[in-house]
Amino acid sequence: MEEQEFQPAIVGFLCNWCTYAAADSAGVSRFKMPPSVMVVRVMCSGRVDPLFVLTAFFLGADGVLISGCWPGQCHYQVGNLQARRRTALLKSIFDTLGLELEDRLRLSWISSSEAPRFVRVVKAFDRQITDLGPSPIRDELFL
Amino acid sequence: MSGNGAMLAAEDGVEAALIGWLKETLNKDIFDALLMPVRTPAGDSFAYLLLQDPAILDGASPLPPVMPVQGGKAIGRLTMHGDGSKRIAAVVRPCEARAAIELAKLEQAHLDNVYLITLDCSGVLPLADYLEDPVAGADRFREASSAWDRSPMRPTCQICDRFSIRQAPGSDLHVGTLGCADGTAVLVAGSPKGERILEQMGMRAEDETKRTDALDAALAAWGTRVDEVGDAQTERRREVQRELQETIAGAEKLLDVFRSCINCHNCQRACPVCYCRQCYFESGALKLPPENYLARAERKGALRFPPDTLLFHIGRASHMAISCVSCGACEDACPTAIPVGQVFSLLGERAQEALGYVAGVSLEDPLPLVSYEMDELHDVEQPYVETYRNQEVQDA
Amino acid sequence: MPEEATSSTFASERLHINKGAEETVRELLRSLLESGKVDAVLALGRTGNGSGGVAYSLFRDPAAFEADGDAVPLLPFMPANAGGLLSRLTLEGALDEPVAAMIRPCELRAFVELVKLSQGSLDNVLLISSTCGGVYPLDADIDGRLEEKLPEYWEGVARGELSDDARPTCRACQHFVPEGADITVALLGEADLDTECTLQLNTERGATFASEVEGTPISEKPKSEAIDRSQSEREAFREELFAGVGVGLKDLIHTFGRCIGCHGCKTVCPICYCHLCYFDSQNCERPTGYYEGELVRKGGLRVPSDTVYFQLGRMAHMAVSCVGCGMCTDVCPADIPVSTLFSKVGAAAQAVFDYEPGRDVAEEIPLRTFEEEEFAQVAT
Repeated sequence: MEEQEFQPAIVGFLCNWCTYAAADSAGVSRFKMPPSVMVVRVMCSGRVDPLFVLTAFFLGADGVLISGCWPGQCHYQVGNLQARRRTALLKSIFDTLGLELEDRLRLSWISSSEAPRFVRVVKAFDRQITDLGPSPIRDELFL
Repeated sequence: MSGNGAMLAAEDGVEAALIGWLKETLNKDIFDALLMPVRTPAGDSFAYLLLQDPAILDGASPLPPVMPVQGGKAIGRLTMHGDGSKRIAAVVRPCEARAAIELAKLEQAHLDNVYLITLDCSGVLPLADYLEDPVAGADRFREASSAWDRSPMRPTCQICDRFSIRQAPGSDLHVGTLGCADGTAVLVAGSPKGERILEQMGMRAEDETKRTDALDAALAAWGTRVDEVGDAQTERRREVQRELQETIAGAEKLLDVFRSCINCHNCQRACPVCYCRQCYFESGALKLPPENYLARAERKGALRFPPDTLLFHIGRASHMAISCVSCGACEDACPTAIPVGQVFSLLGERAQEALGYVAGVSLEDPLPLVSYEMDELHDVEQPYVETYRNQEVQDA
Repeated sequence: MPEEATSSTFASERLHINKGAEETVRELLRSLLESGKVDAVLALGRTGNGSGGVAYSLFRDPAAFEADGDAVPLLPFMPANAGGLLSRLTLEGALDEPVAAMIRPCELRAFVELVKLSQGSLDNVLLISSTCGGVYPLDADIDGRLEEKLPEYWEGVARGELSDDARPTCRACQHFVPEGADITVALLGEADLDTECTLQLNTERGATFASEVEGTPISEKPKSEAIDRSQSEREAFREELFAGVGVGLKDLIHTFGRCIGCHGCKTVCPICYCHLCYFDSQNCERPTGYYEGELVRKGGLRVPSDTVYFQLGRMAHMAVSCVGCGMCTDVCPADIPVSTLFSKVGAAAQAVFDYEPGRDVAEEIPLRTFEEEEFAQVAT
């Protein structure tokens, strides 16, 4: 019987000005990366509503990556600082409920000139999610 | 109703037989999916599941002891934005099918690819009673329902007289159990869609002459018994509702019935027919500056807060009574044990009577408030016409 | 003219009154109305013809507070969180004239949160609260059975103890001494509740409005032994209560298996103020294709969808402001311990931000503000 290797499905919310540009640059430079990240471009990491993260998990994502500009460099001044608080909140909720999703949610700062960093983060997160296995939520019927 | 039917062999009980039949329809690709109640993971309730994996049917129950979510609402939410591409069989109780049909008329459900499969129903337990002890509740339900004893059921179920396709003719297929010999049931088609299913399952005689005597006898026995019980229920319903009407006659008595209302609007939320995204009674229309509330409080000495409790109930009734299917989902959802289902069922009955309408029996019946005749309901207008005519005569 | 809810320059005054608490409170509210010092009083009142039925009312007739009047200001019952009601009262405009509100600490905190969210105004609201001995759940008053419990309730409060039948969230409450009230009625642990009463005047506004009250100013600090004891009892119960609700995805699915999606929890929650909740909006109306897609992906799914999604989403939206009032558990037709879960998640989320909802109207809600440098461990 053919054993199918688990290919993680990761939704990546990447901010237009920093991380998305880095991702684009990584692509143009033909850096090799696992194909697990499905990119959703947002104008700012501060655009990411906690509900986006929940929706991603409920629709079957194994991991969610939010990535934006470094604090102090946000194109809209403070969006990334808000993203950081929302991520802290979500992780607290996941942790309190014992959902084991905290490790499946990652917030990163990757600037537009850091294409190699983008590659490293994606590779590391892909490995982390692969090790964790498929998200327990994805096949639940009684949600 | 065509009277076309088939026998359903049910040696291990009707539920098992129906589930087996449904599995077959999935395997034969007659339906793409089923929508029916399935036991929850904790085993303490039932929830509607859309399923295509026949294995899930092992936890399913076509007639669970409770109705936490009204099946019509489930069908509505599933199809509110248009017909799907999959053929879905919804296994529901008659009041749930009726609600689905009303929602379809209100364009909140699309039934082209939905096959409504109903069963003879002896009611459901009030949710609170069941949740106190689900195991005991299930036993109590099993005992009562097999004896067609409605006494432990929802008050609205106790006086229901539309518990079979013979009184609620809107479904596509119906499983008749009342009046059937032990170990048997009848499967009756209620529409061309239903007939096609029976055909595809090889259950329909192509030719009237091939119908067996046994089937005819079974259908006749079922029909007679259902009509008998139905008539008795109608009488009971009229009596109980007459008594209830006295209990709520007048503002004082009505206010007393709703004295514990906390304005949670659970009743409106649980109702399959109430579909508004934002209920009028939660909208900005009723959110007023403090001067308004203070003036009203001044006039009466005090103002219950939040205000407009009775307005909400009477207003909701004016919005949905013509479509009320008397399921009693509202009463199950009420946290302060107000007999709201019984009150609304009465209001619904009277409103539908007044407009010559029965909710949910046919997609062809237009909704009474969006249709009209030139020549009707003269008893409503008559006083005005009389007065006006008299005035004309006087002024002349 | 807007006044601060707390005045740091005002020293609390205490008045000792030679009447029982019930009588004192009735007389205070009655005289506030009669003298015209306030235009109305928001307090609990009887509805119906005598067999139960209690609702908050906006009283304007002082007679309601006489011994045989409809008002029952200290009844241990919460048919609605009065914080939400005060928001409803002042949402479309601040009060021009004073209105007094007799409410519990959690209701007060909820109102303060709502004011921060621009859902109401503290202007001209005279906040009267008490050291709280908890309330009974909604079903305790069916057919008026609450009356029978009252003697036992008040005996317990006088001893500083909560009834076993009180809302579990009350028995686990950590904030039963009100903060931000203009006047606090001492109830918990007051041994002679039916013959004496102490009023604490916390603000200048409180002192002004209570100026006609016949009482002796006292300088001694209130006894805190009963309060401390209640605090530790409630802490112990809280731990037990929180431990009793299962953690993990499986447990969450089990807990919300019975959920009927009525959203009653959201409707009665004082903090959930959205006119149209996200989860009732078009965004959560799933097209048939969504159901069919999930059906293919998973083999089956619950209809209507988004039951657990709504719960987690609501947590994400309001957990930082949850005041643990327990209305949500009370209203649930499926006996789900919503408040236990939400209080637990809320307390943890609030601890992350070192935040306490409703303690200070000037303290910004954590998701509406941020620091340049914080939570370094969150971003990797």
